[in-house]
Amino acid sequence: MIRALLCLFLAWQTSAPEAAQHMQAGADAEKSGHFSQAIAEFRKATELEPQAAEPFVRLGQAYLENHDYSGAMAPLKQALKLSPDLRPAHQLLGYALLASGYAAQAVPHLEKAQDEATLGIAQLEAGDLAQAITNLQAALAKHPNDPDLLYYFGRASGLLSKQSIDNLLAAYPDSARAHQAMAENYYVLRQMPQAEKEFLEAIKLRPDIPKLHLELGLVYASSSQWAKAEEAFRAETKLQPGNAEAAFRLGNALLQQGKAKEARAELTRSDGLQPEMPETLYSLGKTASLEGDSTSAEKAWKKVVELEKDGNLAAQAHFGLAGIYRKQGKAEAADREMEEFKKQQNSGVANEQQQP
Amino acid sequence: MLKTAGLIVILLFAALAAPVLEMKSPAGLNFVLRNSPTPQKYLIETMPGGVALLDYNNDGLLDIFLVNGGKVTSPMQVPETFDRSNPLYWNRLYRQNKDGTFTDVTKEAGLANAGEGNYGMGVAIGDYDNDGYPDIYVTNYGKNTLYHNNGNGTFTDVTEKAGVAGGGWSVSAGFVDYDNDGKLDLFVTRYMEWDTKHSKTCGGEWRTYCPPEEFPPTTNILYHNRGDGTFEDVSQKAGITSKKGRALGVAFADYDEDGFTDIFVANDGMQQFLFHNNGNGTFTEKALEAGAALSEDGRRLSGMGVVFQDYDNDGRADIIVTELPREIYGVYHNDGKGLFSYQSLQTGLGELSSGSAGWGVGLEDFDNDGWKDLFVAQGHVLDNVEQIDPSLKYKELPLLAMNHQGRFEKTDSGASGPSAGRGAAFGDLNNDGWQDVVMTVLGEPPQVFINPGGKQHWLVFTLRGTRSNRDGFGARVRVNGQTRFATSAGSYLSASDKRLHFGLGSSTSAKVEIAWPSGVHQTLNDVRADQFLQIVEPEKP
Repeated sequence: MIRALLCLFLAWQTSAPEAAQHMQAGADAEKSGHFSQAIAEFRKATELEPQAAEPFVRLGQAYLENHDYSGAMAPLKQALKLSPDLRPAHQLLGYALLASGYAAQAVPHLEKAQDEATLGIAQLEAGDLAQAITNLQAALAKHPNDPDLLYYFGRASGLLSKQSIDNLLAAYPDSARAHQAMAENYYVLRQMPQAEKEFLEAIKLRPDIPKLHLELGLVYASSSQWAKAEEAFRAETKLQPGNAEAAFRLGNALLQQGKAKEARAELTRSDGLQPEMPETLYSLGKTASLEGDSTSAEKAWKKVVELEKDGNLAAQAHFGLAGIYRKQGKAEAADREMEEFKKQQNSGVANEQQQP
Repeated sequence: MLKTAGLIVILLFAALAAPVLEMKSPAGLNFVLRNSPTPQKYLIETMPGGVALLDYNNDGLLDIFLVNGGKVTSPMQVPETFDRSNPLYWNRLYRQNKDGTFTDVTKEAGLANAGEGNYGMGVAIGDYDNDGYPDIYVTNYGKNTLYHNNGNGTFTDVTEKAGVAGGGWSVSAGFVDYDNDGKLDLFVTRYMEWDTKHSKTCGGEWRTYCPPEEFPPTTNILYHNRGDGTFEDVSQKAGITSKKGRALGVAFADYDEDGFTDIFVANDGMQQFLFHNNGNGTFTEKALEAGAALSEDGRRLSGMGVVFQDYDNDGRADIIVTELPREIYGVYHNDGKGLFSYQSLQTGLGELSSGSAGWGVGLEDFDNDGWKDLFVAQGHVLDNVEQIDPSLKYKELPLLAMNHQGRFEKTDSGASGPSAGRGAAFGDLNNDGWQDVVMTVLGEPPQVFINPGGKQHWLVFTLRGTRSNRDGFGARVRVNGQTRFATSAGSYLSASDKRLHFGLGSSTSAKVEIAWPSGVHQTLNDVRADQFLQIVEPEKP
């Protein structure tokens, strides 16, 4: 990002030809990466033209390029004294302050420079998370694939979320939401016994909170406690009959217990609530296959392949289709599907190992 | 009246709640499986050890042979030695006495020296020279050993003469007559290309045993029995080396009923192998096209132990493979026509196994109701798995799941507590017609599960081949709609009682049909229940 910042300079006209020569020499040295020499040349230009802001800006820029952030501040401040609205000076000074750890002082300069990206970062570092998120989001809209922006946006969002949760835990430590927040944290850390305990506590206090049962079910599912997972997912579907994910999860928990008929009913319901979800369709294919309904299994898995093209689910669907065709004696179709499966497998998408 | 009804209810409840198996500590069985775990996390440390149930002296009582690991130093020095001359690390043969106690006869039987460079793994049992006495083949990380049974209570190490030392890291093995020539051949699985010099640890700060993918795969070995006390390594010409794997378990059955025994190999962390016997001395690996290579979702499996028997009484050999947690034990139902379908969920085994690591496995009719139940030795590979994932356990109870017409339901295994189970062998230790189990445990004595029995009827056969191999391995035996494939192999690292056990439920007689490997078909009608019977193969078809 610094490279982008340092490329914005104005054409400059001077009344002193000697100063112009030093400016040119400084620019040439800068271009060649000889920043110390550039600093010396620009400094001479500032001495010859002490009332002009531009040589001070160039001097500050050269310091920045030489990673001497504190050295950059004095000339940039002088430039702003001479020309208070000079945007490049604000931008460079904001950057120098931010790089030196003076994030709060950088903010007003970056605001004047209207540099959303660096401003967002400075606000994040200064602890103004809400404003940081707004500015980083605006910058991301313009540069959606910038890794720095993606990182800072993620960090700001995470910190804001943490801040909010910390406030919740401090103010209402015994509330259902506090238990839920702690449970979610434990779940992320894969500390499942603690997550289970907190979710159960939250449910005891507020059994009506949406997603609580679903999240508890996910805890059980992660350790393959399918009967308990079923119970939790079932509670969620009762609470939220329109929640497609809850129906999908319940269907899967039933499937894992070999309850194919019930699983199929739930997965069909999920498919109705949110059609064309590859995960749901894949599981529907599995339940149909379990019940010996190869026509429905084939239909569901063909749809998965159509929707997914590649990836794990597509590979699994190809594998399932190969099995169906082989049993139907359609050797050619079975071989074709198996080839597709192997292709996906070789590309490494279909075989992630479960650990430990 | 009410009092009587109450008593009936109590008795009924007691009968229902009676354990299927009871853990016992038979006197004299003082073995400890010394796997010698070290901070180096050498993979061999977590993999032993085998157990065999055999009647080595033909006195009608099952004896127990246990394979020991060895002493592992931290780090190992080159050349590798495992202190196997130290009695602590001997393999052990325990002779069963008439009163059910055991006597350690290792030294007098000539089985004391397991070889300094050998870390013990598994055992296979078969009468390879058809002399009527079971011989012992021990697999090792190192060189394997074939002990010929001299018929007088002693054994002779004939490895060199027989040419079956193998090498590398051998795991499970089994005797099988793949070419139906009446002589038992030998199949040996090998895990991977690994040695202590090239070992490493995984898991970062957790410092754990590495998964198999960290090491190159290797080939299995098939030895053809020449009939003169020597074997020929036919792995290459038989097509066995066409596939490299990370093999742990092996089991045999004629899955496509073409009269030739096929071989299923449980591979760790990759696809499973099904070597179809072409009937001309060669094999073709067909697991993927047969539907027995991967999970239902096309995922590779951590195959460890395997059993190749008919669990749903449809007469065809099914496959059950034990796995690591988060996978589920693979149930490959034999649909006929050489095809299998994955039925772990339908059989209920998915739910019973998704949090467990399984090793030795057997399908045995423990309650003699006519349906083969499932026993699995369990315990995680990683001895510190709880630190990594608290929902998993290193020590587990074995799984005992009763078979209710093809669906498995968990019941009390009779174990006194969790342990790191590995090998498991099955047989009728006390000759009461009810199947028992011996399970090996890392760092501990073996666990002996005795079946207290009940009122159902049973039949136990000893096959005596004449044209076929003397043990009758490879025979398909049907009894009142049930089928068993005669073998002592299967499970993990272990060899089971070669006798064929059938639960008859309430039937007091049975029709017995035997398809011998020679092609001879034999039928016995109205065989009385509750007896041990030797069936001799007719000389003429």
